[in-house]
Amino acid sequence: MFSSLSRRRVVLLVVLTCLLLITLDKQGNPLTDRARRVFDVMLRPVDAATNAIVLPLERAWYGITNYEDLETENAALRDQIEHMRGTEIEARSAVLQYRELAKLNQLTSKYTFEFVTAEVDGDSPSNYQQTLEINVGSDRGIEVGMPVTDGAGLIGRITRVFPTRSIVLLITDPTFAVAARVLSTDEETDPGEVATEGSPPAETEAEPVDTTPVAEGSVEGETTTTLPAVIRETGTVEGRGGNRTLLLRFTESTSAITSVKVGAVVDTAGGTGSLAPQGIPIGTITTVLKQSGNSSTLVEVRPNADLRRLNYVAVVLFLPNVQAVGS
Amino acid sequence: MYRILAGPAPRLLVIGLFALAIQRAVFAEHPLHDVKLQFVLALVVAAGAGGGSDRGAVAGFVLGLMYDLGGNTPLGQTALAYGMGGIVAGYLHSFTPDPQWWLAAVFAVFGAAVGELSVPLADLVTGESGWITGDLLVNVPVVAVAAGVMCPALLPIGRWMMGVKRKKWKAMNE
Repeated sequence: MFSSLSRRRVVLLVVLTCLLLITLDKQGNPLTDRARRVFDVMLRPVDAATNAIVLPLERAWYGITNYEDLETENAALRDQIEHMRGTEIEARSAVLQYRELAKLNQLTSKYTFEFVTAEVDGDSPSNYQQTLEINVGSDRGIEVGMPVTDGAGLIGRITRVFPTRSIVLLITDPTFAVAARVLSTDEETDPGEVATEGSPPAETEAEPVDTTPVAEGSVEGETTTTLPAVIRETGTVEGRGGNRTLLLRFTESTSAITSVKVGAVVDTAGGTGSLAPQGIPIGTITTVLKQSGNSSTLVEVRPNADLRRLNYVAVVLFLPNVQAVGS
Repeated sequence: MYRILAGPAPRLLVIGLFALAIQRAVFAEHPLHDVKLQFVLALVVAAGAGGGSDRGAVAGFVLGLMYDLGGNTPLGQTALAYGMGGIVAGYLHSFTPDPQWWLAAVFAVFGAAVGELSVPLADLVTGESGWITGDLLVNVPVVAVAAGVMCPALLPIGRWMMGVKRKKWKAMNE
């Protein structure tokens, strides 16, 4: 092969073939999908054999070198579990109330959909893709575009599906974007606050209801409850690669600066064009910066989920529409 | 048929499968200061440094294609980037027909740097430019030096994979 073709011809052939393949794959050619499936069948046994050799060695080495760290971490986790038990009951009650309200208002939320639990098999081998591989695929009803969460919040969406495994694009990848909302009360609003990354998040819990004396026309001695007005800002959360925080771009940039605050919770906005149903937590706002020269706001969001330590995840069986999924 | 089976194609496929499995099981799971070393790229540049630009290009194309098939990148993207890496490493043979191991390692460093840098640049071709960041200043040198370190060990495998026989020099009788 090499003797019959000159060096330049080989190089040119390689480059042109690559460009042709990229074009075909980007246009969603079924042949490339079939080739991936065939290759997956070939790679599985080799992967399994390599893991069978590597994993015991890796675990033994990890056990020897990190024994003390593991003990400390274990103790810290036990402590954390004790603390979380207290808030769990309260959270359950809030979720039940939320479900009832959502049902009453005929809203779709993450609680409307079933989910499939999956184990994380591995990371992306590349430095330029933030993906995960999970051990469920089309056999379990997984489809491209479905959102993936862990206990803490949204971690990404399915971008490629094989019969027994799938690839999840993480929210920190620069190609990831999802419709998001920031819900805050007017009491939380702190106009013009400019925070820097690393500053402690502000308290975000809504103040308790304000009980005021009766207005005119009502029975004397009776009290009425005034809830603080809820401000809703919508936008798009985008990944920025590496270990960087997420970027939140508002739909109406002029109003956002007056209503969002460091520490506010960001969750998925839902809607027909969204990649995820409403109400999946994404993260908390760590920085609000007003960009000089224009009226736009730069908001950084730290993901709730610890993307470096994912073992089990849940794929929400929510299928966004084709336009939202894109390629 | 026999010619195909005896040629480099089956060896390239088998070695490529194992290299990809090692990349996924070992190097993807254990990054060095947040940089994932690229074992498959190291093998490509070793093949290029051992066999020349044309063989480097073919090794890069095939192994990169396998990388794309097993991952989430568009088909042909890594193949293009690794092909470039293999070509650059193979330029060594323009200077000397039978290079020393250390010279091969030096060219492997350059080839791996080009290969690693070409991945985000190939992203640009597909319209995704999010990875052209300052992180490249760390990723590229780390991956390139690691490939240079691995090169002497991978050089014989690369040569065998591409069917390159070491040249035997004989003194000519006057």
